[in-house]
Amino acid sequence: MAWEYSEKTKQLFMDAVHGKPGTHLGEIENPDGFGEHGSIACGDSMRFTFRVRRHPTDPTKDVITEARYLTFGCTSAIASSEALCTLIEQGGYTPIQALSITNEDIVKFLDGLPQQKIHCSVMGAEALESAVFNWAQKRGVDLESLGVRIHADEEKEGRIVCKCFGLSEPYLRRKIEELNLRTIPEITGATKAGGACMACHHAPGGLQDLLNEVWGASGTRLRVVPKVERQPPPEPAPSPPALSPYQYAKRIEKTIDEIVRPMLAHDGGDVEIIDIKDNLVFCRLEGACAGCASAGQTLKLMVEKTLKDLVDERIRVVQV
Amino acid sequence: MRLIYADNNATTPIAPEVVEAMTPFLTHDFFNPSSMYEPARKTHEAVVRARKAVADFFKVSDPRQFIFTSCATESNNTAIVGVAKAVPGRRQIVTTAVEHPAVLEVCKDLQRQGHPVTFLPVDRDGKLDLRQYIRAIGPETLLVTIMHANNETGVIFPVAELARIAKEIDPAIVFHTDATQSVGKLPIDLEGEFRHVDLLSFSGHKLHTPKGIGALFVRRGTPMRPLLIGGHQEEGRRAGTENVPYIVGLAKALELAAANLDDEATRIRALRDRLEQALEATIPWVQVNGRRAPRLPNTLNISCHFVEGEGMLYQLSAAGICASSGSACTSGSLEPSHVLRALGVPFTAVHGSIRFSFSRYNTEADIDRIIEVFPQVVSNLRRISPYWDAANNTPRPEAIAMLEAASRNGGTAAPARSVDNRP
Repeated sequence: MAWEYSEKTKQLFMDAVHGKPGTHLGEIENPDGFGEHGSIACGDSMRFTFRVRRHPTDPTKDVITEARYLTFGCTSAIASSEALCTLIEQGGYTPIQALSITNEDIVKFLDGLPQQKIHCSVMGAEALESAVFNWAQKRGVDLESLGVRIHADEEKEGRIVCKCFGLSEPYLRRKIEELNLRTIPEITGATKAGGACMACHHAPGGLQDLLNEVWGASGTRLRVVPKVERQPPPEPAPSPPALSPYQYAKRIEKTIDEIVRPMLAHDGGDVEIIDIKDNLVFCRLEGACAGCASAGQTLKLMVEKTLKDLVDERIRVVQV
Repeated sequence: MRLIYADNNATTPIAPEVVEAMTPFLTHDFFNPSSMYEPARKTHEAVVRARKAVADFFKVSDPRQFIFTSCATESNNTAIVGVAKAVPGRRQIVTTAVEHPAVLEVCKDLQRQGHPVTFLPVDRDGKLDLRQYIRAIGPETLLVTIMHANNETGVIFPVAELARIAKEIDPAIVFHTDATQSVGKLPIDLEGEFRHVDLLSFSGHKLHTPKGIGALFVRRGTPMRPLLIGGHQEEGRRAGTENVPYIVGLAKALELAAANLDDEATRIRALRDRLEQALEATIPWVQVNGRRAPRLPNTLNISCHFVEGEGMLYQLSAAGICASSGSACTSGSLEPSHVLRALGVPFTAVHGSIRFSFSRYNTEADIDRIIEVFPQVVSNLRRISPYWDAANNTPRPEAIAMLEAASRNGGTAAPARSVDNRP
């Protein structure tokens, strides 16, 4: 499927990759706020830094003057990062005010994003939050007493619901509420949760259960059919061999070592046993025999015949 | 801007000779080959001739062993599901972790219906371990389905040998191969080296026909129930009115491929190798996937550490170059390529994978242009990447440490899950 990005998204991406002046690419040294979100394993991650103009007495009146990002991710992840920095710098926000920027503002700034790319805008908002948390620590601002909820450490706590992307229950519960997610595809589009193996969709405590808990179980709830345990097919009873499998394989090895190898050695060759499975012996000719056009013949007429005569007439040799 | 098409493992440009061969059947010779009146003889005979031409390509004496389908996906579905239906006494299927979804998902579907399925892993070069292969085959084994050449990496499996080993263990085992990427690129002699292969799938649009035509080789005596029923066509093995113009086009495409198989392979291999060497020489931190294994001459799969594939594709596209990526962001599933993960491509590189694949219509000038554009594309994104030190053009120390820690743990592409345990 070709790209469905808006002109704005494409333009911001191209400006960023070409390092056009006015873009927000980079990392501020000794920043006032530093935040990260995502990981390279998941396919996108962002490092977000900002600098403030410090208020002499009241740190809560610091104003963000400069915002920079480094982003590993797709076209829309990079464009979202650019959008976030532009919104923040244009707004003249304090860090706490900047928290009011949501992923929807980013999507709006970009003139929309395809549904499966919404998570790119969410990443920007999360990185911002984590940077504000960092600023508050540095400046000694008690966010909680100001009534500001920060979730930067949330992922480290709580049960993991989506194991593929490592997303926790508190994080998903909050995102479902904040972004008004009503279906599993909406959750996947916004957070990636359930986008890979899909095992968490209808598992107990999975995405559907979270949706039900947040929004109440409506009549549309999918009934989860209890999994029917299948009996594995019974192992076929092996016919009792005269020798134990160990003794049988030993006998074959011994015969090859004592009889076959010396014969092949005359011609500068050798044989390797790859595997022994019931009466099948998987072999590879080596040395001078390896490239020989009659390798197959040698195995059949010489190796196989010797083993048939001396160990068991049911033996067959397979060239590997 | 000149378009450079380097995504021939996805589909290929249509050969003018193929269009010419098809045209009469898209215009005046429209008759149903099954009809009784005289004009229908022409379409009937065209299908017979085409089947003969397809059989000649594979050096098969009885052309009726080929049935025409709509695409390789249909051929694969017909082969796998058809064999499972025809042999109710056996259950187990042996396949690999790197098959195309048209095989992998069919096998997983049968697994949900109770068939035990073994997904053989591959090593870091993309190769199978023959010992594991031998051990996977047992008295319950119904079908072995292993691709000839991989669509993403171009790695070639020794299918002729694998088929022979399966038959030597137990002649009742059915052997299927998906040869979609190799037909027209590698010689396949179904009555010679490949005589132990029972079923072989391929499609036309990978060798310069329009999309919408495939074929399935079904060796005489192979137990297989049809997937599409409701007509006598293809001797009841695939119902539906024959797609005459496309069947004629497929035959023509195979004739063209056969005429230049060796020369073209040599020329295309030289193009690919030149690109591979140039990119490796100019871009730090890249790896060529599947290089130490036998590979298709036309495929280059290269992973660039610490960048993401979609952003590369977009910039290439803006420069008029068409390629594809194994990155999660281009897959629609949010997960990076199952093939590259099976190869153990490190998680720092799996998202930055690009596949260039060539055909007989690519030129030296195409390669020059890619060599000119691609290194810049990578360095543009690395400049933005939080894992890259742009000043020294190397990964940041903490990024290298992360990669080393992961390889110590045997970790590759997260999430760490064994392919065998997937439902």
